[in-house]
Parts: sequence; C-alpha cells; structure tokens
Amino acid sequence: MSEMTKKMQEIAREILVKGEAEVVIGWEKGTFWYLSPPAFIDKPEDVQRLVWDDFCHNNLSKYLVDLKNHEGKAAVFVKGCDSRAFNRLLQDKQIAREKVVLIGIPCPGLLDQDKAKELGKNSDLPKAQKCLDCQYPNPLVYDYYLGDKEALNEVAATKEAADYSDVAAIEAMSPDERYDFWTKQYDRCIRCYACRNVCPACSCRECVFDQTRVGWIGKANNSSENQFFALTRAMHVAGRCIECGECERACPMDIPIMLLNKKLVKDINELFGEYDAGIDIEGKLPLGHFDKNDPEEFM
Amino acid sequence: MKRVGVFVCHCGTNISAAVDCEKVAENAKSFPGVAYSTDYKYMCAEPGQELIKKAIKEQKLDRIVVASCSPRMHEPTFRRCIESGGLNAYLLEMANIREHCSWVHPDDKERATIKATDLVKMAVAKVMQNEALVRSTIPITKRALVIGGGIAGIQAALDIANAGHIVDVVEKEPSIGGRMAQVDKTFPTLDCSACILTPKMVDVANHPNVNLITYSEIEKVEGYVGNFDVTIRKKARSVDLKACTGCGTCIQKCPTKVPSEFEMEMMDRKAIFTPFPQAIPNKPVIDRESCRYFKSGKCGVCQKVCPTNAVDFTQEDELVTERYGAIVAATGFDLFDDSVYGEYGYGKYKDVITGLHFERLLNASGPTMGKIKRPSDGKIPQNVVFIKCVGSRDEAKGKAYCSKTCCMYTAKHATLVREKIKDSNAYVFYMDVRTPGKGYDEFYTRTTDQYGAKYIRGRVSKIYEKGDKLIVWGEDTLLGRPVEIEADMVVLATAMVAKADAAKLAQMVGFSYDQNNFYTEAHPKLAPVETHTAGVFLAGACQGPKDIPESVAQASAAAVKVCGLLSKEEMPTEPIISAVNEAICSGCGMCVPVCPYTAIDLKVIQERVHGKTVSRKIANVNSGLCQGCGACTVACRSAALNLKHFTNEQILAEVDALCL
Amino acid sequence: MSVKEMPQNWEPKILVFACNWCTYAGADLAGLSRLQYPPNIRILRVPCSGRVNPQFVIRAFQRGVDGVLVAGCHPGDCHYVSGNYFTRRRYLLMQRLLQYVGVDPERFQARWISGSEGPKFQQVVTQITEEIRAMGPNRKLRDAQ
Repeated sequence: MSEMTKKMQEIAREILVKGEAEVVIGWEKGTFWYLSPPAFIDKPEDVQRLVWDDFCHNNLSKYLVDLKNHEGKAAVFVKGCDSRAFNRLLQDKQIAREKVVLIGIPCPGLLDQDKAKELGKNSDLPKAQKCLDCQYPNPLVYDYYLGDKEALNEVAATKEAADYSDVAAIEAMSPDERYDFWTKQYDRCIRCYACRNVCPACSCRECVFDQTRVGWIGKANNSSENQFFALTRAMHVAGRCIECGECERACPMDIPIMLLNKKLVKDINELFGEYDAGIDIEGKLPLGHFDKNDPEEFM
Repeated sequence: MKRVGVFVCHCGTNISAAVDCEKVAENAKSFPGVAYSTDYKYMCAEPGQELIKKAIKEQKLDRIVVASCSPRMHEPTFRRCIESGGLNAYLLEMANIREHCSWVHPDDKERATIKATDLVKMAVAKVMQNEALVRSTIPITKRALVIGGGIAGIQAALDIANAGHIVDVVEKEPSIGGRMAQVDKTFPTLDCSACILTPKMVDVANHPNVNLITYSEIEKVEGYVGNFDVTIRKKARSVDLKACTGCGTCIQKCPTKVPSEFEMEMMDRKAIFTPFPQAIPNKPVIDRESCRYFKSGKCGVCQKVCPTNAVDFTQEDELVTERYGAIVAATGFDLFDDSVYGEYGYGKYKDVITGLHFERLLNASGPTMGKIKRPSDGKIPQNVVFIKCVGSRDEAKGKAYCSKTCCMYTAKHATLVREKIKDSNAYVFYMDVRTPGKGYDEFYTRTTDQYGAKYIRGRVSKIYEKGDKLIVWGEDTLLGRPVEIEADMVVLATAMVAKADAAKLAQMVGFSYDQNNFYTEAHPKLAPVETHTAGVFLAGACQGPKDIPESVAQASAAAVKVCGLLSKEEMPTEPIISAVNEAICSGCGMCVPVCPYTAIDLKVIQERVHGKTVSRKIANVNSGLCQGCGACTVACRSAALNLKHFTNEQILAEVDALCL
Repeated sequence: MSVKEMPQNWEPKILVFACNWCTYAGADLAGLSRLQYPPNIRILRVPCSGRVNPQFVIRAFQRGVDGVLVAGCHPGDCHYVSGNYFTRRRYLLMQRLLQYVGVDPERFQARWISGSEGPKFQQVVTQITEEIRAMGPNRKLRDAQ
C-alpha cells in the first residue's frame, strides 16, 4: 500500500468518525488493474477500499453536483485538475463551498489507461496526454492537504508554457485536410453524450442537445448532426474548459475531443489575454465580458 | 391549425417592376401553414389595409405576413392594421421585398422573384411560431431626481417643479450654483454671471416643489424607469442646517485657513466655510480634512462662538433612499489638466493660469476685488497672452474634440483686458476662431476691431520666465514667421473635460458614456437629451462641452421629457423582452454580466425534489429594465433564456425555411 | 442532390444575420439609394448581432447555405450599448473554430455595417457573393440529405 493511499484512508476515516462529512468521495480499484473508478465511502470501516495509484483519473468534483440537494456535507479528494473543476462548478454556482470538505492531493501525473490496456501490466507506460499538458498538478483549493507543502510552492513556481503542438499540427493542414480529419473523427461519434456527462463545465439542468422540442439538433446520427454537436459543445465550454481531459477519457469512440477544447483555450489566450479556467473564481469569464480594445478583424 | 395570410404589396411599381408579385403570392400558397395569399397595389393604403382586415375575418386568418417595404418603415402601420382586424399586433411578420429586393435587383426579375419568394418563405416560417404578446404597464413614481445643482440642474429642476412635480436636486458641493457661479461675466452680452444666476438659485431654493440636497452624493441606483430607487449619501456637514442662521460668526473666528477651491486657490477660505458669499444654502460646512478639531481634537472655536449651538462635530454621513420616476444627470464638467503641456509652464509659472482663474481675477468679490492683477506679485499686467485650444483639438496630448466655449470666453477675456487695463495689449494665439451662436461673431469682431485684441494664428511652442516677464514663443502661420512676446501673464483656454467620477455615476445608473467619459445621448440628432436607459435624461456639459444658453436649453428639454413621463400614471412596456424558462435555468449566472441594462439578477426559488423542499437560484429578468437585445439568450448555454418575438425556435425556423 | 458536383445554374445562397439598428438599416439605405448587388443574399433580422447564437450559423451550413455573414453596428455604436462587443469576442473564436474544423474562411464572415453605410453593405455582400461563387457550393458541415 502506498504512503498516499494510507494517508487517504486515515483522513477519510477521521472525517467520517468526526462527522465532518457524511460521505467521502475517492477512488478504489476497479474491475481491471488499469481502472480506478470513484468510490463513495460513508462508513469508517469501508475506508480501506480507497486507493491512490497511477489510474485515479476520474474527476471527482463533478459528482458533487449530484449531491447538490443532499443536506449533509461531502468530502472529496482533489488533484490539480479536480480542484479546477471544483472552482469551475463553484463559479457556475452549482455547488456550495461550505458543503464540501476538500482534500488536496499533489498529482505526479497519471498513466495512459488505453496504453495500459494495450501493452499490459509491467510494461513501460507513458503518461496520459492530459497529464503531459497539465499546468496545475497541485490542488488550487483544499481544506486538507496530503502532500508536502514546500513541494507545492516549488511546483507552482515552475509553471511551464502550455504546449499546443498538437493543435498547431492540425492548423498547419489545408482546410480540406482539416475537414476530412474531423469528419473521420466525428463520424465515429455515437452521441452517447458521455463527454458531456463527465464534463465539469457542463452543468446545465437541461442540455440543448436534449431539447428535442426546440429542435437544436436532430436525432439522426450522421456527420452533419455530429459536427453540430461537436462545434456547439466546444463553444459551450469555451473559456470554461479546465482541461481535465475527462471528455476524451470517457469517449468510447476515442475521439480526440481535447484537440477541440485546446484550440479554444489557445485562441482565447491569444485573442483576449492569458486565461486559465477554474483558477480564479472571482474573475470574469472570457465570453462573459469584453474589452473595448479586443482585436478587430471585422471592419 | 394555424392559418397564415400572406399579402404581397406591389408598392405601385416600386416592387412590381422588379418582382413578379402575383407569382410570389401564388408561390406562397404552397408554404406550410399558409391559408390565404394575395397581392395588391398598395397594402399600406386604406383599401390595402381593409383588404387585410377583411381577409382576417373571412379566411379566419390567425397570423399575417406582409411582403412589402422595410419593417422599419411600416411595421407599426401593419401592426395597428391587424390589431384593428382582431389579431394581436405581434402576430405579424414582414418580408422586406422592396429595400432588400426590388430596389437592389431591378434588372433580374426572375432571380428577384426567387429571392422575394424566399424572403416570404422565411417570414411565414417565423410567423408560424409567433406568439401573441401583451404590452404590460409599469407604475410611474411622481418624483424626479436632478443630479447636479449647476445652471443645468437648476433650470431642469425649476421647469419640472413649475409643471407641478416634486423634484429633488442632489449637489455634491456645499452650495448649488456650479461653474456658472465662478464665472464673472457672460458672453456675448457681458452681463454679470452672478446677477443672472443668483435669482435662479433663490427661485429653486424657495420653490415649494423643490428639495435641495447639498453636500450629498449618489450612492446607489436600482430599479428602472418610473421606479428608480436611489440611495443618497448626505455627507456630514457638521453644522445643523435647521439651527444655523447663517450669521457667519463661526467663519470669522475659525483660525484655520486653506486655499479656496472656488477661488481657484488664489485666495484662502476657512476650515468652516461657505464656498462663496451668495451660496445656497448660505450656511457653512466644516471641511474635516483641514479642521483643527477633527485633526487634533483641539480648537472647537466655531462651536463655542455659535449663538444657536448649530455646530455638531458628531454628525455622521446619512444614507437616505428615495424612489424617483425619472432622473436628470446634470453633473457638469471639470477642467483639463494643463500641466500636461510642459512647454506652457502651467503649474510652474504662477502667472500662467487657466481661463477660470482669470474669471476669478475679473470678479469683484474675487481675490483681487475685480482688478486684473498677476497672481505672482499683484502687478497689473500690460501684455496678456491668451492661448486657445489647450487640451482640446489635440489628440496627441489632450482631447480630440473642440471644447466649444473657449473661442468665445477668450474673446470676452481679451475684451475685458483691453477695457480694464489702460494701454494694455491682448494677444490671442488661435488655431481657428469658431463663433456660431447668436451675437457671437459680432462679439468677436468687436474684440478685434473695436477693442483691438491682436489675434495671431498659430500655436505657442514655448513659454519661459525672464526676469518678471514670461517670454512667449510662437509662430504666426499666416505670415509664416516666428513671434516672440514679452508677456506679463498668460491665460490658457483650457478644455472642458468630463467629471473625474462621471463614469462611476453612469455605471451606477446604467447608461453609457463615450471615450471621453461624456454621457452618451440616445441619438445624436433625434434624441439628444435622452439616454439609452429609459427615464434617464441629460442636461448640460456632462454630455459634452456646452455654453450657458445651450445648457439651459438642454435642461429645459430634459425637463419636458421628465414631465411627459411624470404626467402619466403608468407607462406601457415593450413586450419584446427576454424570458426565463425556470425549469431549465441552472442559475449559473452567465447571463448577468452580459446584460447592458443590469436587467438580470438571480433569485431564489423553492421547489419539491423527491419529497423535500429545496431552494435554488435562477435568473430573473426585470421587465422594466430589459430592452430586448437578446445578449443573454446567447450567453445561456441551455437556452433557458429566450427572447420573445426573436426566439431560438423562430430563428431556427427561418434558417431552415431558407433552404427548404 | 449530391453536394459534390457543381450543378448547372447553381447560385450561391448566402444568409446575412443583420442587426435591426445598423446593418438592417444600412441594407435599407442601400435599397433607398438603389445600390445594386447580386440577389444571392437573404437577410434575417435580429435585434442585435449579439443575439446571433453560433448554433444558428452551424444550422445554416447544415441546411445548405453556402455562406454566412453576421453583421452589426460598429463597436461603440451598439444600440444596446455593448452587444456587438460580445459578438466580436464570440465570433473571433467561432471563426477560428470553424476554420479549424475545415470550413473555408470565406464561408463565414462578420462585418460592422452602420445604418449610414449603404455603399458598404453593397460592397460587402457583393464581395462575399463573388468569393463564394468562385468556390462553388458548400459541402462542409452540410446535411447529406
């Protein structure tokens, strides 16, 4: 058992025994060695189910939305990206800060699940792409912190410039090549909406894609409707995506959704100044305000 | 079943020359929902309107498309028409087949007809989704607020009060009067400013319908036309206005002297003071920043000498909230900071002053008792140089706009120099002389021809001190040669700029301002005193540089607008506004910051979920504030906000129809 | 109709979202001034360019429009104070996103056209029509049926 797993179990037990929260949301081992799905622990004797390993991908903050009407408090473990998700949901007024106990965990970056499945145990596994892109490995907000505080500051000071080489590669293609690339990707989409359901930026009570009466989108699963879905979703999370990569992980058809999201993050930074979602909850959202001196291309 | 009637207008030959109107009407018969379609020579004329009304009745039509001119032209006409035909006015759509079709495609009848057909198709698809909308009403509070007690605010208040309405005037300074009180004489008549202003000040103060609230500022504004809830901060005056008789003993005895703002710091006032002798209310206020008692706890002389015990050091700021039906912003202007022009030496050389300083030097109750004397040594200047356009018409260092009043007041100043100082010279450096206005150019001509002021076209490049003289270097661009003048005094025609806190008030009330922070009128030609916010009007220089007659005229115009509003018990509201689908709204609040009218806030509702009562936040549109732009509808990802008459469903239907 | 082949007599169909206060008025002025332009555009009136949901634009391409123009008041002149500033932000992003997924830049454009700019309206829609005519029918994002 890893040191961190031990710490997690201890604090979970303490929180439950003291009654600080009624449920602790963490990760446990799943059906396969490369899966660590969420665990909802509400009894002290169950805390040994909790684990921390290289596959604790699931962004747990989103589950807090389901507990919105729950009277008691919930405790939740947060990695860097989970904490940005928490801030995102807080900014969208979907959760109440005072009803949540946040336990921060420093995240060294997790391993690629798909590669794990493909290459098998004991192979040399690469990090997940979202972790390679990660700028905030440490939680930004927490009530308890299970790591080394000094390391926290050290890492925070060495935030590197984001790498958009994958986005740039697509930008370098011709329009027709780009269109063919994305058509191939979204022709696979089965519109299961798993990407939406797992997304901490998607917290609408009723999603437009479910509004059949208005007719935003048809039921047909074809290129055109799928592209409408992809573009609309990208615009809806623009300026709000916290780059946790959950959409891409949840996608059963392996569509590189983050390539769309990252494009918007890149453009927002270039057009409207540096902005990372889920960092500053008081700040204005890129599409929620404007600057009179924004770039002018429409003269 | 919805039954749409389509009416295609020929507009004489304006449309039918380029569009086959009969064919368009014929084509329309096949569009989904169309029960009746016809064409006619002039739909807007009486027989055309009768035709529509008759068809509504006979064909049992429940929504109408008129294909004719621009809706910007005749939408109101046809709305009234179908309303009198028994339909709700909003069950009308227009297809613009004149301005957007026949007039721009005169040479291709076939394709113009196809286009007209498409436009009708889109209108039919939209009107199928139109809903009857009802204009509601909001009550009007019969009380007006005028912000600013200068000449514009005074005039507006008097006019509103004379019409029989109650009006409150909030003035930031201890006295009303504003800038005009500082001015000595007015152009082009050279009558004394105070002599024409002070009677008006007295009138407004004595008017039974006017409440003066001086030494007070606007703290918060909420609500909308007819119902503005305004919180006013009454600053602690430290003098009980009711008890004080204005005898002035306290002022005499006060040991602390500070430079008087009213006298442009060329004279001192006391720490307990009235800004000028004719101040209204003519009762003092303690400037707590400089008062010895407030600084050190010692002194209190004013309190000791006051015969009515009116001095109260314990007074605190008081917040009062009042509801108003209409607001007039008359907050006036500030002066441009001339020290930006280092070459003129303003702020460095005592005898380089602004026009407003010069006004005080001219004034009989000013620092020099009306004798023009140099601030540095009190000598009477022989050579006075005036420089125009300081801070105005200069994009690089100042403002791009023309400050408008400077040409005239400089002419006035030059005249007075020549009149008051024997053998004096008045030199005026100018870029242009702009004198539109009644009697203005005649005044300017007198200044040069009769009074002999020397006008030099060109800018001044440098001013420096030499002995007790100011050497002014410039260029006469008409003669193309440099000019050097040994001046005793230099007066800068300083630009009017917006008040430093102008933007703050605009943001509070929720109206717009331009890049110079002057308040923006609703339309530069046709709505020059209105703002974009219903119920808020503008008067005076807060909207842009103005002289006294213009400020007064605009104030009276604003007053008429206020009276028009207050004469009604209630007013109808436009029903094309945003609406919230409460079931869908997740209360994320993305819509709140995009609304330019602060019409959206979040409210808490309670609902039952799995047998429990839970509360959640949702967006709430204030129908009095919403102007129907639809910005919120796009900010709302889940389309919980929708704009009536331009709903998502309607626009999607139009888009779809275009490609059917 | 197959979208790949260029049909005979094909004419581009271009949708213009025009704000009521500026661009729609500018188009009216073009009409009043009898300024001619190709009859390929269809104007859809909205109160403000800020009312134009990007989903409307995608829908237009789905349904077979060959080009979309979103047009409104110049920044600073919005009848609704600030609507077009949001339009500018939104469509700066949207334009890049559309290009990123392969839509040719000419297909989606945004412009500021005031109520007094009849000639500009004429010039802009003429230019867009000609650009799109040269490119042929749009097949991207389009509903195959």
